[in-house]
Amino acid sequence: MDETSLGAWMATGLTLFIFSFLYKDNPLFKLAEHLYVGVSVGYTIVKTCDAVVVNQIYKPIVDQGEISLLIPVAIGLLMLTRYVPKAAWMSRYAFAFIVGLGSGLAIPRTISSFILKQIEDTVRPLLSMAGGDGLTFSMNVLNPASSINAVIILVGVSSVLFYFFFSIEHSGPGRVVARTGIIFLMIAFGAAFGYTVMARMSLLIGRLTDLIEFSDASYGRPTLWLALLTIAALVVLSRRAASMPSQSE
Amino acid sequence: MLKIDRRIIFLVIGVCTLLPLLYPVGLPIKISPEVRSIYDYIETLPERSVFLLSIDFDPASKPELHPQAIALLRHAFRKNLRVVAMTLWVSGTGMADQLLTQVAHEMGKENGKDYVFLGWSPGGSAVIINMGQDLYTAFPSDYGGKSTKGIPVLEGVQSLKDVAYAISLGAGNPGIEAWYVFGKDKYKFELGGGCTGVMAPGLYPLLRSGQINGLIGGLRGAAEYESLVGKKGRAVAGMDAQSATHFAIIILVAMCNLFYFSLRQQQGSVPR
Repeated sequence: MDETSLGAWMATGLTLFIFSFLYKDNPLFKLAEHLYVGVSVGYTIVKTCDAVVVNQIYKPIVDQGEISLLIPVAIGLLMLTRYVPKAAWMSRYAFAFIVGLGSGLAIPRTISSFILKQIEDTVRPLLSMAGGDGLTFSMNVLNPASSINAVIILVGVSSVLFYFFFSIEHSGPGRVVARTGIIFLMIAFGAAFGYTVMARMSLLIGRLTDLIEFSDASYGRPTLWLALLTIAALVVLSRRAASMPSQSE
Repeated sequence: MLKIDRRIIFLVIGVCTLLPLLYPVGLPIKISPEVRSIYDYIETLPERSVFLLSIDFDPASKPELHPQAIALLRHAFRKNLRVVAMTLWVSGTGMADQLLTQVAHEMGKENGKDYVFLGWSPGGSAVIINMGQDLYTAFPSDYGGKSTKGIPVLEGVQSLKDVAYAISLGAGNPGIEAWYVFGKDKYKFELGGGCTGVMAPGLYPLLRSGQINGLIGGLRGAAEYESLVGKKGRAVAGMDAQSATHFAIIILVAMCNLFYFSLRQQQGSVPR
């Protein structure tokens, strides 16, 4: 059996074991679940060690003599003092460095990108100058930059913000605005849920496509054999569970 | 109906997914403007322009983003662009290397001359800033351990400012948003994005404001891009199944509502 076929048998088996949860929780599912977690963590640790410790620390220092790299290495090592209670205070310098650097990098750029840019886009001019026609109001809903969409976004943002403004009772005209905000929120939740359903179905399609591919004779038909094996294992487990006296008895 | 065993619903969805995959119908795929704008932008790039593809996902998001990556790489290689690929997700390095090698081999491209895979570098979003200052300090060596200085495909490339077009295929953070915040906004290169279906609604505000010039959303977006490139693959093959399952879900939602309201009418009050 070559490595491709072996991979096909592994992928098929683990997919079917995970899918067996749809019937009910069982040891096959647990096995696949624990393997997934273990392999993911192991892979990440090995890759991180290789990329960081070997390629970005050891090789540059030993092969190229980049002694300056010892400074970030020392700061990083300070983190490990957390495990020594008497020296744990030293790790604060490393954390202070990381928090300070991270905040300094992230805060200005995030404010610029997600607050200022988005406000700028929300308060677009409702009327636009198009050619020699003077001021125009475009009604094309399909064009994201049209005037009607600018109005919809302005109304949506304002009403949703008002809905989350709890210092004023939502009664009278305020109730109408808050209700409008709820409608916009519901549309947003619906769109997000629709996309989520689409994404989850895509994952299912991905696994089923693989299962169909691996039912081919060139792989040794792992889908067929492992599906039978999984079903047989579920039947045996189910019968064993039924024959065992319940814990309450 | 309201007390139906959930396993029957799983079975219905499974059958609705499986049958169109086994017997495809070939429903038409309409190209959305946000996907077309990425395709059109790549079409306008001159030969040997630097195209950066950040493969910011791991195998958990493979069904949606892998077809996007393959279609984009096919397009970039067909246009003879210099492809610089990388990842901000350590768990995606092996998969990213495999897919790049596979498409490059299929298109007859040579590693180091036509494309390079830089691999992963620690720091998350800070890697983008590092690349904006000096690409060679962020990635002193490529994924194969070869020094990046002197690689022909990177000739004339010092930082992100020398990139003609960058696309992040993101399944989370760091991903498209990080590339905009720490990359495009600071170093002024054009940026497009590809993402999972779950993330797409949250990224549309960036699209509308012009912060990204296009967005490929989920398997549907991948199918549109495959259609544009003219080489249909896994995404197009999955569209019939996607439509069938959506139809089944709509029917189930409608039926459950129908039964719920008819039951409520029979009982004369809200069932508890």
